[in-house]
Amino acid sequence: MSKLPKRLLGYTDKVSVAPGDKIDFKISSPLSGKYDARIIRLICGDDSEGGPGLKVDPVKTSIDGSYTARWQPIHHGSYAVIDNGGAFAAKAITLDVMIWPTLPADGRDQALLGNFDAATQSGYVLYIDGSGHLSFRIGAAAPVRLSTTLLSRHWHHVAVSFDSASGKVVMHQHRLMDYPRVQRSDTVEATISGAKTTGGSRFLIAAWSDKENAAAHYNGKIDSPRVIGAALGVAALAALRPHDARKLPVIADWDFSRDMSGIDIRDISGQGHDGRLVNLPTRAMKGWNWDATEMNWRHKPEHYGAIHFHDDDLYDCGWETDFTLTVPAGLKSGIYCAELRQKGPDGEIDDMIPFYVRPPRGTANAPVALLIPTASYLAYSNHQMASSWSFDELSSGKFVTLSAGDRYLEENHSFGLSTYDSHNDGSGVCYSSRLRPVLNMRPRAELWQFNADTHITDWLEARGIAYDVITDDDMEAEGLDLLKNYRCVVTGTHPEYYTTKMMQTVRDFTNEGGRLIYLGANGFYWRVAYHETLPGVLEHRRAEDGMRGWISEDGEYYMNFSGELGGLWRRNGQPPQGLVGTGFAAQGFDISSWYDRTADSFDPRAAFIFEGVGKDEKIGDFGLIGGGAAGWEIDRADELLGTPPHTLIVAVASEFPSSYHWVKEEFNHTHSAIDGENCPMVRCDMTFFETPKGGAVFSTSSISWAGSLFHNNYENNVSRITENVIRRFIDPKPL
Amino acid sequence: MFKIDSSCADLAAAYKKNPLDAYPSPALQKVLQRLRWGNARGRTIVVCTMPAREWRLGKMGERRGMPVELGGQAYNRYEDALWACFRARWREVSGEDCPVE
Repeated sequence: MSKLPKRLLGYTDKVSVAPGDKIDFKISSPLSGKYDARIIRLICGDDSEGGPGLKVDPVKTSIDGSYTARWQPIHHGSYAVIDNGGAFAAKAITLDVMIWPTLPADGRDQALLGNFDAATQSGYVLYIDGSGHLSFRIGAAAPVRLSTTLLSRHWHHVAVSFDSASGKVVMHQHRLMDYPRVQRSDTVEATISGAKTTGGSRFLIAAWSDKENAAAHYNGKIDSPRVIGAALGVAALAALRPHDARKLPVIADWDFSRDMSGIDIRDISGQGHDGRLVNLPTRAMKGWNWDATEMNWRHKPEHYGAIHFHDDDLYDCGWETDFTLTVPAGLKSGIYCAELRQKGPDGEIDDMIPFYVRPPRGTANAPVALLIPTASYLAYSNHQMASSWSFDELSSGKFVTLSAGDRYLEENHSFGLSTYDSHNDGSGVCYSSRLRPVLNMRPRAELWQFNADTHITDWLEARGIAYDVITDDDMEAEGLDLLKNYRCVVTGTHPEYYTTKMMQTVRDFTNEGGRLIYLGANGFYWRVAYHETLPGVLEHRRAEDGMRGWISEDGEYYMNFSGELGGLWRRNGQPPQGLVGTGFAAQGFDISSWYDRTADSFDPRAAFIFEGVGKDEKIGDFGLIGGGAAGWEIDRADELLGTPPHTLIVAVASEFPSSYHWVKEEFNHTHSAIDGENCPMVRCDMTFFETPKGGAVFSTSSISWAGSLFHNNYENNVSRITENVIRRFIDPKPL
Repeated sequence: MFKIDSSCADLAAAYKKNPLDAYPSPALQKVLQRLRWGNARGRTIVVCTMPAREWRLGKMGERRGMPVELGGQAYNRYEDALWACFRARWREVSGEDCPVE
C-alpha cells in the first residue's frame, strides 16, 4: 500500500533579497541526525513527463554543509492572549460575552474566556462542550453546563458568575433571534466547593492554555468579552449588555472595534489589560449589533466589534532559524532555492525552499525584469480546493485527482490554508501567510503559478536573454522606483492578485514609457492588501462577484488591513483591460487551443511581433499545458471595460470545448450558453498597444502560453513571437 | 432532474472508451455532471501514488487531517483510474452498479 513519505519542511523569513542581505531558513525534519543543505539557482522546476526537466545550477555559499535535524511544531488555531493572568484571579468573578458559534457541537471542547490551564487543571473557563452546551469549568471540578444547546451562526449573550467563598455558579444564555419552537434562554445555578480562580499565567480568549501552548480552540465570532470582579446573580447576568455603563467592578472590557487593522485588542475598562491576537483571526467582522445600516466598518466601527476565530488559522509558525545566508555580492539575480537532503531509514527525504535574489537596490543588471507574482503565490499557498469546494469537479471538468502534495496537506491538517479555501467551519479564508511551509509553491509541484512560471525562466535561459528577477513584494515596497530601472517588465503566467499600489505602479510604468509583456491570463483581477507592519501576509475579501472559492458575507467586503473595498478590480474602477488590454474571460482545464492571426496582425505597427511567422500559421497548437498555447484561463479585449481604442487584437483563439466556462461576473442572468462551444465571449485575444512616452503593452492573455515555449527545443512560433516582442521592447527605439 | 440508470449504459461505454475526451456528447455530459456534483469529501476520488506512473482510487476522510483511504488496485494508466472512479461514482449516485464492466 502506498504510504506518504515523511517530509523535510521549511520556510524563510524573507521572500526577496539583494546581495548583502541576510535570509533565515527555518527547517523541520521528522528524522533525527543530520541533513545537508546547499543553495541552487533554479532554471526550471518542471520535472513532469515530456517537460524540460528539473534544471538547477548549484551555487557555492557559506551555508553549504550539514545541519542537525530537529522537529519543529506548528501550532495552528487563533486566539487572544492577555499576559497578566494574576489580575483575573478575583475571588468573585463574572464572565460576560456575545458569541456567534459556528461549530458548536464539534465533538470537542471550545474555550471562550478564562485563565484555565489544562496542564495544571487550574483556573476557570467559560466554554462550549463537545455537544454544543455552554459550560463552565473551574480547576479539576466537574463542569457545570446548560441543558439548552447553542445554535450555530446565531448571536447569543452568554455569561457566568462564580463566587469562590460560597462556591456558587450561575450561568445564563440568551439567543438574540427568537423562534417559536426553539428554546431561547436558559439558566443554571450550581455549587462547586473548594475551587479557586487562580489559574495559569495568562488569560485567553477563544482557547485555553496547555502550559505555554493553546488548546481547545473555538470556531466562531466573539464580541465584547468582559470580566467583572463580582459574582452577579441571575437577574443581573441577564441584564448585562456589552460595554454598558453601570457601575460594576470591571477587570477588563475588550472592545474589538478598536484598532481593527492590527493584532492588538484594547481593554476599555481603564485597567490596562490590552492583549494581542495570535494566528490572525479575522477582524472587522459584523458584530452582534450589526443591522445592515452600514457596510463599511470604517464608517460605523461599533457595529464591527466581532472577531472570527478559527481552529485552523495560522500566521507565523515561529520556528527557530537553522541557518542564515548572507547573499553574496555579485550573485546573479534569479530564482533560488535552499536544497535540503536527509538520509532516512526509508530512503532520502528532501525539500527545495524558494527565494528570489534581486539586483542591488536601485540598480538593474539587465534591461528585462521578470516580475514574480509573489502576491498571487501567497493567495494560492497550500490550497486545498478538492476538499473546500463543492464545485471543484464541475469547474475543472475532472474527477478530483490528488497529487502526493495534495494528499499530504489533506492528511496533515496543520499547514494553514489559502485564500481559495474555507475554514473548518465553512467560513472563507481571508489571510494567507508565507511564514509557514508552503508545499505547492515549489519546484516539481503542479504546473500552476510558481512551477509554471519556471517555464519562463527556462526559456529566457535557453534563448540567452539576460533578465533580473523582482517580486510583487519589492514592487509593493518601492513602487515605480523599482520598475523604472527596466525597459521591459515580463509578468508571470497568472498575476491575479494586486494591491492598490501594485496596480498604480504598473500603470505608472507603462505611462512613463515602460514596456510590459503580460505573459499570462486572469491577471490584475482581485484587489488584495499587504499588512503595513506584519510581514509576509496578504488579505483578500471575495466581495460582490467573480470566480470565487467562497463568498464574503454581506457587510464584510472591506479589508481590515487597509480599509479598502475588496473584490474584483473591475468592481473597483480598474478593469484589467484598461491596464493590459485584456481581462479574464473564461476558464477550463482539460485541453488548450491555438491562436489564429487576425487582420490587425498585418498592421505595420505589429510587424515586429510576427517576424518569421507565416500568415496562416496556427500559433501554439502544441504545448505542455493542455496541448496548446491558449488555455486554462484566458482573457479577452473589451473597449467598454477599458481596452484602449488603438489596441491591435493581433491573434484570437476561439476553439474551446464545453469545459471552458464564461466568467460569471459578465452575465446578467444565468442561461445555458456560457461555454466554449456556444458562447462567443469564451475567447483569448492577443493584443498590442502603445502607451505614452514610447511605452507599450503586449498581452498573450493565456495561462498556458509559457507551457508552449519549450516545444521543439524552443524552436516554435510561441517562442518566436515572445522573443520578437522582448527584443523589440528592450530596444529603446520608439515604437 | 436527470437520472442515471441502466438506460445510460451506452454513455458509460463512451466514457470508458475515452475518459479524457474533451468533447463528450451532451448526453454524456449530463451523466458526468450528475456524477461530479457536490463536494468530493466522502466520495470516491483518484489519487496519484507515483507521478505519471500509478494511480489508485481513494476516499477522503470526513474532515481534514484524516487519512485518505486508498484502494488496493493500482492503475498504471490514468484513464483506467478515471474509468474505475466513474464506475464507483455511478454506484454512489444511482445506487446501482454501472452496467458496463
